[in-house]
Amino acid sequence: MADEPKAPEMSMDELRARIAAAGVTIAENRQGMVKKLLEEALAPLRRVDSRTIRPLEPAVVFDAAGPHVGTPS
Amino acid sequence: MSDAVAFSTIRELGRQYRAKKLSPVEVTKTLLARIEKLDPGLHAFVTLTPERALQDAQAAEDALARGDARPLLGVPIGHKDIYLTRGIRTTGGSALFADFVPEDQSTVVTKWADAGTVMMGKLITHEFAFGLQFPGHKFPAAKNPWNVEHIPGGSSSGSGAALAAGFVHGATGSDTGGSIRGPAAFCGISGIKPTYGRASRAGVMTLSWTLDHTGPMARTVEDCAYLLQAMAGHDPRDPACSTRAVDDYVGGLQGSVKGLRIGVPRNYFFMDLDPELKQAFETALGVLKGLGAEVRDLTIPAFDLARSFFLILVTEAYAYHERDLKTKPELYGDVLRERLMSGALVTASEYVQAQRVRMQTCAEVDEAMKSVDVLVTPTTIGPAPSFKASYDTSLGFPRSNMGPFNLTGQPTVAVPCGFTKSGLPLGFQLSGRAFEETTVLRLGHAYQQATDWHTRRPNV
Repeated sequence: MADEPKAPEMSMDELRARIAAAGVTIAENRQGMVKKLLEEALAPLRRVDSRTIRPLEPAVVFDAAGPHVGTPS
Repeated sequence: MSDAVAFSTIRELGRQYRAKKLSPVEVTKTLLARIEKLDPGLHAFVTLTPERALQDAQAAEDALARGDARPLLGVPIGHKDIYLTRGIRTTGGSALFADFVPEDQSTVVTKWADAGTVMMGKLITHEFAFGLQFPGHKFPAAKNPWNVEHIPGGSSSGSGAALAAGFVHGATGSDTGGSIRGPAAFCGISGIKPTYGRASRAGVMTLSWTLDHTGPMARTVEDCAYLLQAMAGHDPRDPACSTRAVDDYVGGLQGSVKGLRIGVPRNYFFMDLDPELKQAFETALGVLKGLGAEVRDLTIPAFDLARSFFLILVTEAYAYHERDLKTKPELYGDVLRERLMSGALVTASEYVQAQRVRMQTCAEVDEAMKSVDVLVTPTTIGPAPSFKASYDTSLGFPRSNMGPFNLTGQPTVAVPCGFTKSGLPLGFQLSGRAFEETTVLRLGHAYQQATDWHTRRPNV
């Protein structure tokens, strides 16, 4: 079986740009961890030409409807 | 007597009750004593409810005396602490809800109470069903009864530990990326993530709306069938909950598995697989063949894109937690806070593409399941890691063999299939077509009739 392709790199600059755009604070000593999480999760998408994905929307279909009672806020 | 009572199956417990050889009050007292003695070393419970348990047990005893035939009467259970319990603290494993006593109650908690179960208490969860408790956390992490230096899996960590230790006969779990099946595999027990929408999530703390599932955990597949029977069904309080009629899961266990077509997707699930798990898995395939099932290899290419499931999970989790993350970040556990924050960094188009890839995965799996009835895969990529290894954040988020079936929403049952030389449990998972819980339960039950892995007990 094929090995998992190496995840495309996300630079620290790209990560910092995303943090700034999102307006959140992520501690400097955790940014490496977050970069790795996103890198690995984004890798499959970056390998795919999104225009080749068959049109299958909507992504989520519910077969029942009703008022939702929320969880604690 | 303690061990025999603690590890009895649900069916056997009911038989003993009706033969008047055991009573729910007697069993409850035995288990409370066991928990009091052993749980300080395992931390499975975050809130023990002995008074409630004895009340429930007395009510069950009275009902049995009246000839009540409900199969879960007097069965001791625990709830993962993201299930709201009216009047009983529900922490979510988080300092944010350390003293939260809900007025609402989850539908599943009510259903199991109506079935006559005995609620022993609330079981610790990884914080908000996502983040392992790192040292210094508000609530101590549950330990694996097979080896307390190792994690019991998560996020239904207390549920897995309590069942392996013989504290309860059933427990609720939730599964967004494997949180029922992972603890089942790591603790040598069974658990089913039913089809998306089969069991209500109303009154259960959200992690990721389009990936969250509720389901039961127990020591045997048969016990899971009893518990799912009392849990499944439509709930207007959960908009994703299906209106389909609920099958007879317990009755369906007895059918033959001869001729059942089993597919083994050989891509994705076997990358970096632990050699001892691979050996146990291949041996389990041999058992399934011996039962008359037809086993064949196949490839489902979209599974190779499954890691993108993390994008959906963290984006939806961030949406749920955004307000508290911004206003009370200090109340989130170390590391979990940043994992959740990563959801803020996913762009809208990346989230959409991840959902589109998800639908491609569903379409490919649907196609594959025209030629097979069940997919079988290793539940995890190895045995339970040590706490020390789990605390190494440089390793990222482990690749999951379970997440793909949260993407597809298929019913998937986790079954123990062996042990490492060092004595840690190993497991495989069986995934069926949507709403065909009966098929995977029947196959898992047949496997357990032919093997004894599910009867092994840790030395606690």
